Amino acid sequence: MSYDYIEFGQTEKEFTSKIEEISGQNIFSCYQCGKCSAGCAFSNLMERTINQTIQLVQLGQKDKVLESNTHWVCASCMTCTVRCPREIDVAAIMEAIREYTLRYEAETIERLDLPEDLLKKIPNIALVGGFRKKSEL
Amino acid sequence: MKNSYFPGCNLKTDAKGFEQSAIAVSKALDAELVEMPEWNCCGTVQTMTADNLMRRIAPVRVLSRASKHVKELEGSQNSVTTLCSMCNSTLKIVNAEVKENPNDLEKINFQLENDDLVYEGDVQVKHFLEILRDDVGYENIAKKVTNPLEGMKIASYYGCMLLHPDKAKIDDEEMPTVMESIVLSLGAEVVDWPYFKQCCGSYHIVDRDDIVNSQVAKIIRNAKKTGANALIVACPLCAYNLDNQQLELEKQGVEKDPIPIFYFTQLMAIAMGLPQKVNHFEDNHINPKPLLTELGLIEEKK
Repeated sequence: MSYDYIEFGQTEKEFTSKIEEISGQNIFSCYQCGKCSAGCAFSNLMERTINQTIQLVQLGQKDKVLESNTHWVCASCMTCTVRCPREIDVAAIMEAIREYTLRYEAETIERLDLPEDLLKKIPNIALVGGFRKKSEL
Repeated sequence: MKNSYFPGCNLKTDAKGFEQSAIAVSKALDAELVEMPEWNCCGTVQTMTADNLMRRIAPVRVLSRASKHVKELEGSQNSVTTLCSMCNSTLKIVNAEVKENPNDLEKINFQLENDDLVYEGDVQVKHFLEILRDDVGYENIAKKVTNPLEGMKIASYYGCMLLHPDKAKIDDEEMPTVMESIVLSLGAEVVDWPYFKQCCGSYHIVDRDDIVNSQVAKIIRNAKKTGANALIVACPLCAYNLDNQQLELEKQGVEKDPIPIFYFTQLMAIAMGLPQKVNHFEDNHINPKPLLTELGLIEEKK
């Protein structure tokens, strides 16, 4: 078994506070019960589970948080939010990580390049929703 | 009784059958849906950020105009009704948020000054299912049924937005009964199944249809396993994902024998013997007519 050495200084604290500020949540309320990940419909597609992501946010590990697909796979269904025993709006934390990327690291986002026939076919609420969650528009 | 009604964008495009069947049903049940004037898109997905007021302007503008409409509409209660569950959720959440934060409301109202309207946080938001449960009542629905849906085994699919989060839910989030009760009053059979609120993948359909497909496969397999021959939904996006992606899965050879997806109001219209044209079944991807004809619920015109 090996252990990762992690930095924990001012830069890391700033990332944690930024996520708290955008989400309006106290990230340190989380006590790692794992209920969010257990009930998540998309856990099987996530590179890191939700509770692992939350712990990394607590530790300010920005690069590790942002490189995982967890927050992009989240579909904002809010099952985690309604089940959290610590009453954290977990989905809002996922949203805050997306927003952080869109606000400060937008150049890392791949543009949504949608084929014409798809644009004609899918419901407009899918388009508005998709663009609001996944692009800086 | 009349209800101020906020359609939202999809009810005018992909989900015409949802809107028109709901309006027809509402008239028959003396709870008419009357479209509010000058509505705009609510923004579809509510922002979960704590600091972004921009994304809350559109829903507040809808609410301020609705507040004006309910005052003008005779016999209306002080609430605006939605059909789309995403609109329902967005409007309800923002309504609760601005009531809790008067400072935010003041800032948003400042943006609405060209409208000569301010929102005072005084209107309620209701989903049509709530109107049917609380104002109309299941027994009054049952009284209007002339064509009981015998032979239909219906899995009620709530999706996420009718039940999440607390500010927006229309029923118990882990054990809802409103759709099942309506199904029973229409004379159909209720299927008890665990996937009633498993997310369909929602807006991932724009660029990650693999996510949606894996969800749809799980949901549909479970519905079939419990014996359902149809699903009912209350959201145009759930409807599209479950309907169109079943055909997609069939093309890929993953699933076969797709089952039809109905808006709950379409089945109400059939059970209440309303004209079939309100249902716009031509917009369904999986044709529901063979099932309905087989069960003798509609007559297929040759």
